[in-house]
Amino acid sequence: MKTDASQSLFHRRTLNGEYFASNISSVARASRRHALQLGLAGLAGGSFLNLLAMQQQASAARLPDEPTPLKRQATSCILIWMDGGPTHFETFDPKPEAPIEIRGEFHSIPTKIPGVHFSEHMTKLANMADKLAVIRSVCHNQGNHGAGNHYMMTGMPPRIPVGCGSYVSFHPSLGSVVAHEYPAPFGLPSYFSLPSMSRSGGPNFLGAKYAPFVVGADPNHNHFRVRDVELPNGVERPQFESRLEVRKLVDTLPRFEDAAVADPVKSMDEYYRQGYDLITTPEAQKAFDIQSEPDHIREAYGRNAFGQRALLARRLVEAGVPFITLYDGGWDHHADIFGALRDRLPSWDQTVATLIDDLQNRGLLETTLVIALGEFGRTPAISTLPGQSKPGRDHWANAMSILMAGGGTPGGQVVGATDKQGYAAIDRVLSPEHYVSTVYRKLGIDPNRIYYTPNGRPTHLVSDGTPISELL
Amino acid sequence: MNIQRRARSANRIVVGLGATMLINDSRRISISSGSRILGLLAGYFLVFWASSAGAQDLPAPKFELDIQPILTANGCNAGGCHGKSRGQNGFALSLLGFDDDFDYAAIVQESRGRRVFPADPDFSLLLQKAAGLVPHGGGVRLAVDGEAYQVVKAWIAAGMPRSSAADPVFERLQLVASQQSLAPGQTLAMQVLAEYSDGSTRDVTSTSFFQSSEPTVVSVNEHGIVRAGELPGDATIMARYRGQIATWATVIPRSEPIDPAKFAALPRHNFIDHLVWDKLARLNVLPSELVNDETYLRRVSLDLIGRLPTLEEAREFIDDTRPNKREVFVDRLLARPEYADFWANKWADLLRPNPYRVGIKATQSLDAWLRDVFRQNLPYDVWVRQLLTAQGSTWRNGAVVLFRDRREPEEVATLVSQLFLGTRLECAKCHQHPFEIYGQTDFYSLAAYFARVGYKGTGLSTPISGSEEMILVRENGRVAHPITREALDPRPLWKLPSELESSTPAETSQTPLNPFPHDPREDLADWMAAPDNDGFAEAAANRIWGELFGRGIVDPVDDIRATNPPSNPDLLQALGVEFRRVGYDQKALLKTIVLSAVYQLSSLPNSTNNQDHRNFSRHYRRLSRAEVIADALADVTGVEDHWPGMAKGARAMQMWTFRADSELLDVFGRPDPNQDPPCERLPEATMTQALHLMNTQTIQAKISNDSGLPARLTAQNLEPTALLETLYLTVYNRRPSETETARLLPLLVGENTTRRKTLEDLLWAMINTPEFIYEN
Repeated sequence: MKTDASQSLFHRRTLNGEYFASNISSVARASRRHALQLGLAGLAGGSFLNLLAMQQQASAARLPDEPTPLKRQATSCILIWMDGGPTHFETFDPKPEAPIEIRGEFHSIPTKIPGVHFSEHMTKLANMADKLAVIRSVCHNQGNHGAGNHYMMTGMPPRIPVGCGSYVSFHPSLGSVVAHEYPAPFGLPSYFSLPSMSRSGGPNFLGAKYAPFVVGADPNHNHFRVRDVELPNGVERPQFESRLEVRKLVDTLPRFEDAAVADPVKSMDEYYRQGYDLITTPEAQKAFDIQSEPDHIREAYGRNAFGQRALLARRLVEAGVPFITLYDGGWDHHADIFGALRDRLPSWDQTVATLIDDLQNRGLLETTLVIALGEFGRTPAISTLPGQSKPGRDHWANAMSILMAGGGTPGGQVVGATDKQGYAAIDRVLSPEHYVSTVYRKLGIDPNRIYYTPNGRPTHLVSDGTPISELL
Repeated sequence: MNIQRRARSANRIVVGLGATMLINDSRRISISSGSRILGLLAGYFLVFWASSAGAQDLPAPKFELDIQPILTANGCNAGGCHGKSRGQNGFALSLLGFDDDFDYAAIVQESRGRRVFPADPDFSLLLQKAAGLVPHGGGVRLAVDGEAYQVVKAWIAAGMPRSSAADPVFERLQLVASQQSLAPGQTLAMQVLAEYSDGSTRDVTSTSFFQSSEPTVVSVNEHGIVRAGELPGDATIMARYRGQIATWATVIPRSEPIDPAKFAALPRHNFIDHLVWDKLARLNVLPSELVNDETYLRRVSLDLIGRLPTLEEAREFIDDTRPNKREVFVDRLLARPEYADFWANKWADLLRPNPYRVGIKATQSLDAWLRDVFRQNLPYDVWVRQLLTAQGSTWRNGAVVLFRDRREPEEVATLVSQLFLGTRLECAKCHQHPFEIYGQTDFYSLAAYFARVGYKGTGLSTPISGSEEMILVRENGRVAHPITREALDPRPLWKLPSELESSTPAETSQTPLNPFPHDPREDLADWMAAPDNDGFAEAAANRIWGELFGRGIVDPVDDIRATNPPSNPDLLQALGVEFRRVGYDQKALLKTIVLSAVYQLSSLPNSTNNQDHRNFSRHYRRLSRAEVIADALADVTGVEDHWPGMAKGARAMQMWTFRADSELLDVFGRPDPNQDPPCERLPEATMTQALHLMNTQTIQAKISNDSGLPARLTAQNLEPTALLETLYLTVYNRRPSETETARLLPLLVGENTTRRKTLEDLLWAMINTPEFIYEN
């Protein structure tokens, strides 16, 4: 009892940064004495302005006693972010024996794992369930989008109450941490987000350098090109290079090197460097060339924006990009959940199944972790909101399902369980911290690692770094 | 750790009616100031709460006084648990205990009363769950041998009494600290005192919530122990207990003091400078130097009209030798037509609806109205009244489009409070905001001003919504409280000073609901524009200040609340007073601000103000707005844009919609047309911006256009030095320095055949520097 209490106090303290941990080396502390005041908890768009300029300062000094780097099971991760909170009932955790007002309109189907059922539209994934792991028992207490996104995207609950409409950042996202740890070759950004950044998907104190590179264009379009990564017509490489030389001559605005000043211009400088690399490397350019894929592959992924983005993600993995988020919005089915999912799930199932198959066929699945999840599950009881004619399910953080495949994840297993009506995780109850720690471990990053913010504050990467052992 | 443990177990309270003794074994023993002599206490209780004392020695705890604080302190009624709107596993409490009746019923009456069992309190589900004796999703919250458990148990044993009229009522919260400023690294224990109607006081530190406005400057933990960081600055600590908030503002000055003579020597152009220097003196921070003419010229042009000075303007201003030339130039800027487009564009972020929702003609009509407001320089209170009380056709009176877009009183109320009162009320719509003072009654009473807005004609029919609609005042219409269903009379968010004197603080004034055809919205406009409504004027002044400095005195500018305090309250107040003094004339206020020394500070930091990000001791650099960059590109290249849906030659600043295709505007962060206003623009730099400026075909086409600047300059056959001067004055609004000239001249002495290409490369290079896209 006593130990538990002190343990949790310790976590809360370090998590919230209210005290400096007593074991920081004096060197680390002294070197950051001059670092700056910085609103770490700024809401995006507010005091966050200065923060993104700080990438040079974000430092991740290792403690001297830190263990040697972990075995890296996965070199890349494709995160399919089902924004809005996908229902667990209609995907991977159906409750066929629950009353109709809970089990809903869909029936369940058997999978390749004996005794395990998915919901009826997950046909292709059910057929390859031996390659998949489904976690049914991660739960948390953040029942709105802004907070839930933050918790599942960073492994840290938001520090203050956060509303549904908010985009907040208190901690670096999975993708940004991975980008911080692993560079991508050929000037490619380490962290892509297609077609937009997910909420809380940013770098926070790690700095703008580790923000996702967003490719907004639709790769299903015939004229898809990643905008502005090629030189404009009429400008050849030598002229581009000489322009850059002239630019050096005219660029005389003083930069404020003192990190405390948080000169926003310095982040733009960083982007010019990064942009130059991207423009000038053929291998980088090739990764975007989705038109070179044979038709049958493009068809198999599904000729829709999500399908082709998944294919683009695979090409980026091949090029060596360590983290790709496929932002897949619109899972907030408060109304008309069954109609909407009847339309959506079959093609979603096909895309995700094809991605996993294709990775395996290319020998990439062993080193590529594929994850699909959202910020929470949805309410067991179906209800019709005022003003709506068709029923839906609302936000429900007590239960959710997470799909994982590849990256050394033992397939054919379900971790944990919810009760027979899908209300709450009851067996092997896990937290977002456990889930995030698992992803970090697989990618060879120690979740217990301490990062230093620009003003010298130590922050645990994950407050509880215990991974889900079944998945390793 | 020790400090915390002590603090948690420490508070032992002695409450007597009429006298309070507070024994806090970690800090102090105090007797409240108004207490009477103990001898007078015959007949009153003297109560000792101590874990050693048996529960039977206690007077019965009361629900409101004793139980609710325990539920809150242990997270039972938190938003992630039973406090969320539908509760947890069938047990719902009000968020952080704002509704005593609801919570009492939930605990004592609901679920067939099985949550409490007075015959054997230990078997009450409430305690069994909380102590983890039966499975509890929330885990163990109360230890059986702990004080809180014993209090709840005693309360159940006593038959779950509620506070009666005779019991003291919690009235006021106080946050007490023994000093006002902190040294870096210093810790200090705060004390939260709850004052009751009988004059008694309780130490409620252990059951209060704490929050810091600037956690990196001063952090606070759940036991109310604050800790100053290593950096100078200022912060406000907030404590919340039973729906009330108390705050404590503190500063951490830089440790090295600054010679007062240096402050005395600073320029003081107007009241703004006095107030900012005063604050900086308290922090031991010196402001930066004033900027030169060239930087001022560019800065003030971008800030007042969103447009770069032309070559001729730059030359004239720089060569002007009159001592008051900055003032003269500001007057000229404020008279320019671009002024209206620029400020209308800013307000469009906040008011412009999605044309697919309200219709193209309605969107254009709102746009035209906004531009007219700033073209005429209508006083702020006047145009806000026009907007809030608008009636008529969506095709003729653009102001009514607000009501076409926001059709429910609740939707208008959130917008109005955020835009014009600087208060975000979304949370209060559903529950008492856990960190704010406004609740549902406040919110729906504000919405009630809009209850009589009526509609005639064709409503929304997305995605076209092309028809005309009339907005009018109808005969009836009420807004009801969502829980009590009671029809609410309109009531403003806060009382004016003149009203405060004349009535008791507990009740707030209702605006009498005059019968039709009176428009209750007029009452709201009256209240806003009342001569003593500081909050209205300050919210507006803060927004204007934020536009000029890149950050508000309260920031974000539309989130004014106790827990997000102004960095300089005196300055905010003075600006509000000034805005009213000039009759809400925005141009007059702008002129005062941009002529202050504070506005004219350089962005170049000195050794004392490098860490300042909120006290305006230096100018903060920022990326220009999307439309500013688009128009600047057209201006410096000399090749105008042709925007879809606009006349040829129209500028980005004049566009009536966010829907016109433009990668550049998207890349530089114009509002997402699919989002509802108000839209915040994200001011951050991204790699896509760098890539766009380097590579986009549209900019390359402008640079290499046959009528563009490089082509024209080549044709003019100027001397290389004149060429350079023209380029620099056009793009950077300054002449090149001698070093720059020396560096660049060799590029221009070659054959005339390659000159155009050289100039194109130079122009490309200059556009691709931060000096061009950042406001410095």
